[in-house]
Amino acid sequence: MMVTKEEILDIALLAKLSVEEDKLDELTKEMMNIIQFADTINAFDGEVQEFDNINSLSNVFREDEVLPSYPREEILKNVGGGENGYFPVKKRM
Amino acid sequence: MKEYELVSGLETHVELSTKTKIFCSCTTQFGSEPNTHCCPICIGLPGTMPKLNRQAVRYAIKAGLATHCTINPIAKMDRKNYVYPDLPKAYQISQYDKPLCSNGYIELKNGRKIRILRIHIEEDAGKLVHERGDTFVDYNRGGVPLIEIVTEPDIRSIDEAIEYVEKLQLIMKYIGVSDVKMQEGSLRCDVNISVREKGSESFGTRTEIKNMNSFAFMQKAMEYEFERQVDLIENGEQVIQETRRFNTDTGETAPMRGKEDAHDYRYFREPDLVTIETSKEEIEEIRASLPELPEQKRQRYIETFGLSEVDADILIKYRKVAEFFDEAAKAVGNPKTVSNFIISQVFRTLPTDAEKEAFDVRITPQSLIELIGLLESKKINMNVAKSTLDKMLQTGKTPDQLIDKNDMGGVDANTLTAICQKVIETQSGAVQDYKNGKEAAFKALIGGVMKETRGKADPMQATEILKSLIG
Repeated sequence: MMVTKEEILDIALLAKLSVEEDKLDELTKEMMNIIQFADTINAFDGEVQEFDNINSLSNVFREDEVLPSYPREEILKNVGGGENGYFPVKKRM
Repeated sequence: MKEYELVSGLETHVELSTKTKIFCSCTTQFGSEPNTHCCPICIGLPGTMPKLNRQAVRYAIKAGLATHCTINPIAKMDRKNYVYPDLPKAYQISQYDKPLCSNGYIELKNGRKIRILRIHIEEDAGKLVHERGDTFVDYNRGGVPLIEIVTEPDIRSIDEAIEYVEKLQLIMKYIGVSDVKMQEGSLRCDVNISVREKGSESFGTRTEIKNMNSFAFMQKAMEYEFERQVDLIENGEQVIQETRRFNTDTGETAPMRGKEDAHDYRYFREPDLVTIETSKEEIEEIRASLPELPEQKRQRYIETFGLSEVDADILIKYRKVAEFFDEAAKAVGNPKTVSNFIISQVFRTLPTDAEKEAFDVRITPQSLIELIGLLESKKINMNVAKSTLDKMLQTGKTPDQLIDKNDMGGVDANTLTAICQKVIETQSGAVQDYKNGKEAAFKALIGGVMKETRGKADPMQATEILKSLIG
């Protein structure tokens, strides 16, 4: 499978990374290597069992019972105590 | 101008009325101080582990069964990645290729089935508050369980879209999995719209209008978007596939996201949650817990009780009204009398939709049964029944307390015959006129009987007796 420079730019955009023009060729090549490894796996011919349930564990549930939430001061600690009980958000573009 | 047809599919988010959030034990209560229903799990702190609420899964299965879906024996949770401040983890835990329910439908009045592609569970996002150019987040809603109900593009008119949502809303209310209040955001619709020339089989390019939270806005947004797309095509331009927002002030839709934010959610399996397996026994157990659904009720009212479609639709629209009706209807001779009393008289005291929904009335099914019993045994006539019902609605008293036993209002056949005889004797002129073909004269005789009985005789019965006496 081929990877184009445009795809690299698109992925960079989604990951919120900026890519220097002179790094683009190198990154495209690296990404192609990674994707081609998947091609190797895809080339495997034979019975493949679907592993939906890799650890053969299912139905781990919690009952619908309310427990106390955290005090708001604790919740807002990482944003300097918040503003009027809210998380303030930095302006986005 | 060519004729165009609307093609639409809906994605409806319904907040489940579980007590706790989908992945933590914080309460789902609405309308509290911001960020007071939060814990490290629902604000997405690193290292926390989600734990799935069993009730959310059961509610989703219930919703699936009530909309004719297949319940998938194996389902899993996936991460849907996007960066937005209302989502603290930068991904939403949702379901991608193995949802809980698939392939259902809701049937419209015109007989068309709107196919439901899937119903999956996911977590709600937080709420953004914009103030003076700044943005603030409240994560109380973050992590509240949602089901998303996705239809095929089967809807062909705005009326069909609205009927579908109304039907869906009613079903969810009946099965008790959500309070589906559009104004509180517990039911929200994303509307996909495209247009095509009438008769065409292919689909046009669609746009998506996000977060419709009222039927009125939904109607206006769809009208606007339909016209906009038709205009574009007529002018030789192209519809661009994009997400649009409806501006409630201008009544217009406008693009919401730029191209650079094009959807790429990079779904992958949520590694912190295990597979959900649902056994046949569990499915049958949940199926058995379903109440009679609105469509079944409607059918029964029309076929068994002989109600008109219009009356049946009105009664099933409000769950509590339907329950009241059922309770009373099973104990009277003619259930139609119950529906007439409810629709014409009781509803007069409950003018708004919300009041009918709450159905907070001072009569009970038993008191109405009692009243109709008196009417059906001809102890009272319709006039007395109606005025008694008004009094019952005002005072909360029973017919027994309101109607004087010694002056039942009702007049038994023997007494009535005697009174008719008396009226014939005293109004011989009118009798003669009637015999000579003056129909109007008969009214005077009925009037005489009503006067004698102080309005309590049954006019139909009096007519019969008078006619047989006059011969």
